[in-house]
Amino acid sequence: MNEKSNLPAPRKFLSWFNPVGRQTGGWAFILNRITALGLTLFLYIHLLVLGKLAQGPNAYDSFVRLTHQPLFIFGELLVVAAAFLHGLNGVRIVLTTFGISVPYQKQFFYALMTLAIIAIVIFGYHMFTS
Amino acid sequence: MNTASAPKSGENVWIWLLKILTGPLLFVLLGIHLIVNHLVGKEGVLRYAEVISYYNNPVIPLMEIIFLATVVTHSLTGLRSIILDLKPSRSILQILDLLFLLAGISAFLYGTRLIMIIAAVQ
Repeated sequence: MNEKSNLPAPRKFLSWFNPVGRQTGGWAFILNRITALGLTLFLYIHLLVLGKLAQGPNAYDSFVRLTHQPLFIFGELLVVAAAFLHGLNGVRIVLTTFGISVPYQKQFFYALMTLAIIAIVIFGYHMFTS
Repeated sequence: MNTASAPKSGENVWIWLLKILTGPLLFVLLGIHLIVNHLVGKEGVLRYAEVISYYNNPVIPLMEIIFLATVVTHSLTGLRSIILDLKPSRSILQILDLLFLLAGISAFLYGTRLIMIIAAVQ
């Protein structure tokens, strides 16, 4: 990426949502970024909610009853999906950062994302049928 | 080096290194966290009583604290590099860095304290 200037560029934020002219690498980058933000949001909510454990059995167990709702399970599936997509994308990033598999980067990305989708489907199936 | 993920202007090499090392480390730690929490048995961590007895084993709080430190570090260094793409000015960045540091330390202290509380319940 060519850095033309170092001036503050807050409007560049909007260009993250611009799909025009994007190639696979750009989509991979956006996917990683969106899953990162989603997982970060989840992390801090998770930490806060776990505070209920310190309030004793009633607070915690009644919250757990909430988590059996389908909408909640769907939310958890989104987290699982984000984790697989972000993690496997990360594998690609770490390897290519150190020069490994760079010529095959695109195929590698597709292969990893396919793996992620398979994992998500398997998890989704188990989460909704038990 | 892949320029999209190399350290960018304003990203100290050590911070970048932290981000890219905690990532793979999380593969292991998150895996352990999820598998162990699942193996506690049917309804395991979904019941207060199970969580308490599970945390009585000292290895568990230790593992969770290490996992917490790693995931908070990865999350905040990642957030920081997203913000860096907006090319904030030097003074804004200094303020943001302070906020990141405070957020990280508070999250870690809060989580560790919570872990200690749970581990102390008999």
